[in-house]
Order: sequence, then structure tokens, then C-alpha cells
Amino acid sequence: MMIPQAPKDLDNIFEETIAIKTTQDIVNARQKGRDLAQRYAFSKSEQTRFATAISELTRNVLTYATAGQCSFTVTCTNKKDTISARIMDNGPGISDLELALQDGYSGGKGLGLGLPGAKRLVHTFEMSSSPGLTIIDISICRQKR
Amino acid sequence: MNIIPILCLQSNLIASIQTELTDEQALAFQSALLEKNHKLNTRGIIIDVSMLDVIDSYMAKVLSDLTIMVKLQGAKVVLCGVQPAVASTLVDMGMRLNSLETFLSLDHAFAYLTKEQARNMDE
Repeated sequence: MMIPQAPKDLDNIFEETIAIKTTQDIVNARQKGRDLAQRYAFSKSEQTRFATAISELTRNVLTYATAGQCSFTVTCTNKKDTISARIMDNGPGISDLELALQDGYSGGKGLGLGLPGAKRLVHTFEMSSSPGLTIIDISICRQKR
Repeated sequence: MNIIPILCLQSNLIASIQTELTDEQALAFQSALLEKNHKLNTRGIIIDVSMLDVIDSYMAKVLSDLTIMVKLQGAKVVLCGVQPAVASTLVDMGMRLNSLETFLSLDHAFAYLTKEQARNMDE
């Protein structure tokens, strides 16, 4: 696979969207996340953390909504590479965002570690939610020397 | 359907997870182990996860549930080969897998189980 050269100016050089409908899509999404992190020379630990965060968040899509999607964007500047993932679903939404980010709180059948756990695994984590649309943006970035 | 081969060695079951599992495959693997444990009357189960790059909260729950289920059957589950990145991710996530006994390698896990089983026979 060809590795794109980092352009001088800010540029989105990779975009891909994976629809989340079955548990196989969870596996595909986290593999994609790990592959991207690997391709852009993130450490093994960062690859695993990013993939695990995507796994948790895309599973939430299937648990709380019927379907959703996970979109990846890679942004390269001459200072740093950033891999972002946006996980969206059409579920009922999260009424109390602060509560949902507390350890041990679960609206469903899980361990209640999905959201707060995923937040600790990535560099940035932003969440917005209303009935019918929940969007979670996560990213990891790597400074270039 | 379970896609992970389960081998029997000196009344211990050994299974190595070589591929990423979907939730359904993880559950199928769990029940296949319980069935085989019951049928073969094994004393220990070793699960090798050295090829797994990701153990998320779901997989962690499947494994720790399995440990408790197998304990009810009168046998023991041990895990081996947890990757360094997976170990740190699990801790950062806040996952406490206290019920799981883990070993660095298959060698260590098997040696531990056979030693323990020999001791139980003596008593």
C-alpha cells in the first residue's frame, strides 16, 4: 500500500466511512483504526488503545441504536499527524452526558466502562447528543520531530 | 458457531485465539469450552491470547464470566500471553479482571496447572 507523503499545508489525506450494523462491523472498524495508526507510525500501545476505544464506541451504537457509522479522517501537517474517528448513531441519545462519562454508570447491560474507558484511551474526546443523533469525535495525534 | 480449535492435553484444554472474534463468535467459543469441559471432564483450561491486539470490555467480560462458569464446573481457567499494549489498555479502561489468573506464556500456564493438579491428587 502506498504511503502518502505529508503535504506542507493542512490537508485531509484519508477518509473512509464504515457502516455499523452488525458485530462484524465492530471488528472491521477497530481493525481499520489500528491499521491507520500503524500506517502513520503510532506506537503499538497507541494502536491498541485507539482500536479498543473504537471497539467500545461502535459497540454502543449497536447496543443503544439500531445502526450508525464510523468515519475516519487522517490529517497531516508538517508538525503532526492526527487520526480522527467520528462515531454517529440515530439512537435515543444520551440525556445526561456527564453522568454517562462516570465510571460504572451504565444505561444498558455492559460493565459501564465503555464511554469513560474509551475517553481515557484517546487524546481528544468530544460528544454531543440529542434524541435521534449522537456524535462522538475521538482522535489521536503524533508530533513529528 | 465456534471457530477456535480446542485441544486436549493431559486432561487440560488448550485454546489459542488467533483471530479477532465478533461478539457472537466470542460467546460461541465460551459455550464450546463449557461443553467440552463437561464432556471430557477436564481439570484446567488454558486460553492463549498472545495473538489478540484488542481485548475490549466485551471480550474481557466474556473471559471473566467464563472463568466463573468453569469454576462452577469444578475446573480452572488460566490466561496466557496478554500483550503489553493490551495489559495497559485494560488497566486504563478501568477493567479489573481479578477473577482471571494469567501467565506470561503457555509453558508457564501448563506447568502451573499440572503442578497444581499433581498436588491436589496427593492430598
